[in-house]
Amino acid sequence: MTTATAFPWSIPGDMFAGQWQALMGKMSAMPKVLNAIQKVRVGATPTHTIYRDDGIRLLQYESDVEKQFKTPFLVVFALVNRPYILDLRPGKSVVSHFVNRGFDVYNIDWGIPSDGDRHLSLEDYVSGYLDRVIDQIRERTGVEQINLMGYCMGGSMSAMYTALKPEKIKNLILLAAPVDWSSRDSLLSVWADEKYFDVDRMIEVCGNAPANWLQGSFLLLKPVQNLLEKYVNFYENMEDEKFLEDFFAMETWLNDNIPVAGETFRQFVKYCFQKNMLIEGKLEIGGQRVDLKRIECPILNLVAQNDHLVPPAQSLPFNAAVSSSDRKTINFPAGHIGMAVGSRAHRDLWPKVCDWLQERSVPLA
Amino acid sequence: MPDDAKSPFPAADPFTAFWGEFMTRMTSMGFQPPQPGADAMQQMRRAFFDAMAQYADNFMRSEAFLGAMKQSMDSALAWQQSMNQFLQKGLSTAQMPSRADTDHIVQLMRGLEDRLLGRVAILETRMDSIEKRLGK
Repeated sequence: MTTATAFPWSIPGDMFAGQWQALMGKMSAMPKVLNAIQKVRVGATPTHTIYRDDGIRLLQYESDVEKQFKTPFLVVFALVNRPYILDLRPGKSVVSHFVNRGFDVYNIDWGIPSDGDRHLSLEDYVSGYLDRVIDQIRERTGVEQINLMGYCMGGSMSAMYTALKPEKIKNLILLAAPVDWSSRDSLLSVWADEKYFDVDRMIEVCGNAPANWLQGSFLLLKPVQNLLEKYVNFYENMEDEKFLEDFFAMETWLNDNIPVAGETFRQFVKYCFQKNMLIEGKLEIGGQRVDLKRIECPILNLVAQNDHLVPPAQSLPFNAAVSSSDRKTINFPAGHIGMAVGSRAHRDLWPKVCDWLQERSVPLA
Repeated sequence: MPDDAKSPFPAADPFTAFWGEFMTRMTSMGFQPPQPGADAMQQMRRAFFDAMAQYADNFMRSEAFLGAMKQSMDSALAWQQSMNQFLQKGLSTAQMPSRADTDHIVQLMRGLEDRLLGRVAILETRMDSIEKRLGK
């Protein structure tokens, strides 16, 4: 009689077979992955350009839904990355919520700053481009005031604009928008400290804030999540077609980086991150003081509870800094990007935001 | 260990801190090594990633990291600046425009634009006052 000798450290046969089978499953999903990469599409709602000013474009969203409101709605995105994150894919589009409710929705594509744009300042963007875009919309629609929503840095710029030209804004929505940089919750604020970051020298040497440098900094804010966890998650879900579509649409946006005009970047880092001048009422744009107390219109402040880029402490003080009597904050359990693309945000947050805006907009007669 | 006691292996401190964080997270999740559940690996991975993320965040706020970041940034900018100067000299020798030249032109144009807009604003104010006087 013979007895089989089993090594105590050997892998049991069924476990090995299971692992092999799983690996084969992943390998067979490769064509699906390649197909998803080729098919990736961003932008859910058709648009057309209605106005151009230097490199910027004003886009109007098209829809078969009949317009219900007289007050147009303009979305202002940050100068970093591209604005289509707010209309990424069907089912993940913030814009579509408003379009389907009958709002006349516009978005600004800030374009890609060239080396020659390094001198463009916050004044050029806020008192120049943004003001001209808003005047264009007012002229086209024949209304005095518009609804404005700013996301991230676009929110800070929208707040600055509303403080400078309060007569042109009917309702203001801020989405994960920083206004108070006194807290050090965000790593960005720590890195931007003037002790460690000489923004003047950087802009003097580089001209614009380089896109790949910005992208690297954002990746490094959450290195484990962005460089490790994301790919482990991808490996586990690579057989799921829906997951692949969402993953590559998101990756397309994340890697579609653009530089920021040098002078604007310098002013934003210096006056906001380093000197915190906006909330303190010391910021001046084009020789005019940006006084948030001049804002009297209804305010909706959307704060992302788990935001690593713009922590709640940077957004929450806004409502106390304005004079509006109608002001509301929604603290939503999502991250910075999750507010725009998260399933929960699309189910629970955006319908409420539409309700809020609907109640405060002028209906068509 | 008293607070002022020095660690015998300071270089190992960050790893010890990370490992301590990982084990704490595992314990708080109720993970028991002798009786792993069906999703034991998932739990373990979650705890590992969370502890690592926490450790990375702490490290990137540390004086050591910030100092190194500043130093590498300064070096990169110094290198870029010498490259810019080198290219500028080369382009100037070849009688070709450099970025400094285009910058200069852009600045001239911006100055011109500012002066023109300033003049237009003055003319606008004058027109307004004339129209007021004429009762229009």
